[in-house]
Amino acid sequence: MSGYLAYVGKRLGQFVLVVFVGINLAYVITHATPIDPVEQSISAVTSFGNTAPEAIAEMRKSLRELYGLEGSGWEQYSRFWSRILVGDFGPSLSAFPTPVGTLIARAMPWTIGLLVTATVITWALGNLLGGLAGYYQKNRVLKAMGVVAMTLHPIPYYIVALLLLIIFGFVWPILPISGGSQMNLAQGWTLDYVASVLTHSILPALSLIMIGLGSWFLGMRSLVSNVVTEDYVVYAELAGVDRSRILGSYVMRNALLPQVTGLAMSLGGIFNGAIITEKVFGYPGLGTLLVDAVYAGDYGLVLGVTTVSILGVSVGVLVIDLVYPLLDPRVQVS
Amino acid sequence: MRAFRSLLLAACFAASGSSLVIDRAAAQGIPRDIPRNELLILENPEGTIKNAGWFNIWAINAGSQSNGLQQAALDTLWYIDPEKGIDGVWDNSLATDKPVYNADFTEMTVKLRKGIFWSDGVEFTSADVKATVDIQIKNPGMRFSAVLTNNVAEVITPDAETVIFKLKKPNSRFHTNFTVRWGAIWILPKHVFEKVADPLKFDFNPPVSLSAYTLKSFDPDGKWYIWQAREDWQRTSLGRYGKPGPKYLAYVDPGPPDKRVIAQLNHELDVIHDIAPEGMFTLAKQSPSTRAWFKGFPFGHPDPTLPALVFNTQNDNFKNRDVRWALALMIDVKGVAMASYRGAATISAIGVPPTGGHPETYHAPMEAWLKDFELDTGKRKIKPYDPTVGKQIADMLRPSMGEVIPTDPAEIAKAFGRGWWKTDQQAAQELLERAGYTKRSNQWYRPDGQPFTIRVMVEGDLRPVMTRAGSMIVQQWRQAGIDAKVDVAQGTLLTRRGAGDFDTFIGWSVETWGGHQDLSYFMDSWHSQFVAEPGKPQPLRNWQRWSHPDLDKIIEQIRTIGFDDPKGIELGKEYVKLVTREMPIIPLMAYNVFTAMDHTYWTGFPTAENPYANPVTNWGNSRYMLVKLKPAK
Repeated sequence: MSGYLAYVGKRLGQFVLVVFVGINLAYVITHATPIDPVEQSISAVTSFGNTAPEAIAEMRKSLRELYGLEGSGWEQYSRFWSRILVGDFGPSLSAFPTPVGTLIARAMPWTIGLLVTATVITWALGNLLGGLAGYYQKNRVLKAMGVVAMTLHPIPYYIVALLLLIIFGFVWPILPISGGSQMNLAQGWTLDYVASVLTHSILPALSLIMIGLGSWFLGMRSLVSNVVTEDYVVYAELAGVDRSRILGSYVMRNALLPQVTGLAMSLGGIFNGAIITEKVFGYPGLGTLLVDAVYAGDYGLVLGVTTVSILGVSVGVLVIDLVYPLLDPRVQVS
Repeated sequence: MRAFRSLLLAACFAASGSSLVIDRAAAQGIPRDIPRNELLILENPEGTIKNAGWFNIWAINAGSQSNGLQQAALDTLWYIDPEKGIDGVWDNSLATDKPVYNADFTEMTVKLRKGIFWSDGVEFTSADVKATVDIQIKNPGMRFSAVLTNNVAEVITPDAETVIFKLKKPNSRFHTNFTVRWGAIWILPKHVFEKVADPLKFDFNPPVSLSAYTLKSFDPDGKWYIWQAREDWQRTSLGRYGKPGPKYLAYVDPGPPDKRVIAQLNHELDVIHDIAPEGMFTLAKQSPSTRAWFKGFPFGHPDPTLPALVFNTQNDNFKNRDVRWALALMIDVKGVAMASYRGAATISAIGVPPTGGHPETYHAPMEAWLKDFELDTGKRKIKPYDPTVGKQIADMLRPSMGEVIPTDPAEIAKAFGRGWWKTDQQAAQELLERAGYTKRSNQWYRPDGQPFTIRVMVEGDLRPVMTRAGSMIVQQWRQAGIDAKVDVAQGTLLTRRGAGDFDTFIGWSVETWGGHQDLSYFMDSWHSQFVAEPGKPQPLRNWQRWSHPDLDKIIEQIRTIGFDDPKGIELGKEYVKLVTREMPIIPLMAYNVFTAMDHTYWTGFPTAENPYANPVTNWGNSRYMLVKLKPAK
């Protein structure tokens, strides 16, 4: 047990280091971008054109003060870390003065709701069908599913999304093609609102499931195909153990471990938001927020979303690393 | 395995069954509790709004402006329409008349309308106008504080209907700050803002309205805003023109172009702000109820902007006008029009957009001068203007587009523009050689012996039409022996353009009022006093960083005359002649906006035949169509 505790301590230390380096890299990259948020703001304001050039110079000065961009690079970096440590990402520059934290908190439930559901469904369905296909290799239905999975897998995501939009938004217009909920419906735990949110999530979720299913299916089928050739499976079959028991207790459980790791990584990664999905379906999540922030040169917001994402992935990997030795006796913490 | 098959089958049935019970109308995102024939749905081109609940437009980087806030709820002293206007281009909105200046333009007096009320029942008075100025001057972070601080010494309100602006220095265009073209300094409610401790942190939610609509509801995630017509719409400046047609307005983010097309084909988006030409052609073909500005080709509404090939004249390559002219003569504008707009472009050879009243004020009257205009190549004199280019584009399109292409020369000029510069490689060669450039095995070299390389900066996906134009120009220059490259700026455009980090870019540095002949909107910032040093940010629209003593003289004369003074047109023509000779930008065309209007639920939209307002949904002027629209069924 002391060996495991030492392993936990070492792993936590690595976690802190990874997060620190990751956030610093994000800070350096965002600040190295050629986009100047002050100039972006000025350009937006001067789309109303007859602002005198002297006034622009004064506006530039005011904005630098307002956005906290004055001071040396070191002073800005110190301010950044002192805020990050208390969970304050500062104000969004492109949605000034709304705090970055407020914007992330508003977008995150949408992303988590859509992507966690879609990821878990995709993972469960892909592994179940892949496992069955690997075990019942002669079954025609499962073979056909394998062909479908291999066909769908390489198709670019946006093609599938666009096809779904055209089919269910125009040819047979029964599903909403944009947004997270019905227009003029107040947010809250009402039946109408929940039903509306679910209806609006069908197409984006379906597109993610259709594309994601293939890799889990093919991965699991390949893992199971290997496991079924193991001696203990062959002996179990020769001994007349029930096939469903062999599949459930010996084959799937053993094949599932690497897939669980993949699931944890995928769940951690959802904090990036599914950028293309959210853009195509106009979903109000973190992906849309991140893209808009990049275009607006909104460092604070980019850093906020990136930090959440770094934490998400790192925590996912950390949890798996800590749980793995407890689940799989073959893993030795020493 | 049988159980598994049954489960799968049941799941398929359940999935298809649940799809069938979804209500079709509700599924498509239209509010269920608002009758469709009372609701006008318009695109908010700003997309999804991050700080959706922010309505304080006077704070810098405020929330959305085009969510209906500036079109339906705010008001100011005057409007100028880029088109003909509902009652002329100039509309006295909160003011009763045009501004009255003293002799040296240091004082502006405004008379205000009586009987105008805020939506919370408080009467609008001169105190609101004074507060608009004073509060912004007092809070330097506010949007117009710098403009007002630089100009206004004091605002005096002798009575509730009179405002006198005492200016710090002569300014014959001060009123334009309170004149809507796209936006303006909107009047804020004194009775609300005087109770606010920090106006920069005040969200103004819900907004108190001064125009004919009030906010009904909005999406906290920023996808939609719904406005409702005021019961007391007569007590607003828009009320003079009648009762607003739609009882409700929804400004929505319909998503990327393909989704806008789908939404309009499903009659779920009445007005599309803008789509790519292909999207417009699809709608024109597939949706009989869709109508654009022009009934047929080229469909789009010409914005009062002038897309051009903008040189960075601080770059050594482009300091010499011979080089700029040579590059212009290497362009075939027909190819550019086809590449960018598939031919649906309104070309312009001069530095004024072919929009609103400008064709009558500048383009037609200057046609004779352009035909006679001579260019000295060093070896000979040529007349580079070809008055038939617009007609050539129309003729080129007629075989594939048929009768939607006009045949009447006046209609062709209106839709496709008039003439442009002849493609003349020989003259271009003579000009480049005079500038010290040499051509060796079909490759041009600079006077210092280095290859003549040009980057053409384009926005990329954000503005595909201009990106295509830039790519075509690059192709044409490469064929002429110049090492040209496309330089995609994407999100860095605003920063790079301001900093002068480009050789040339496709975009505009010329914007005008459109409906009014005055060119000061962009021209004042072209004065040499405002040209930034290389590497420093360049304010406003003089992206080309060009200045000229003759232009300074023109600008200085414009500053001393009134906005409506006919002498302004003569000075405008002098400007056109100067920029034609100097070619600091190569004018291309108007920026055509493909605003598509669905007539299924509403009729009476502004069109080229009835140009009473700008139809583009984000313009403040689009409010005038709200009183002209009638239910179709």
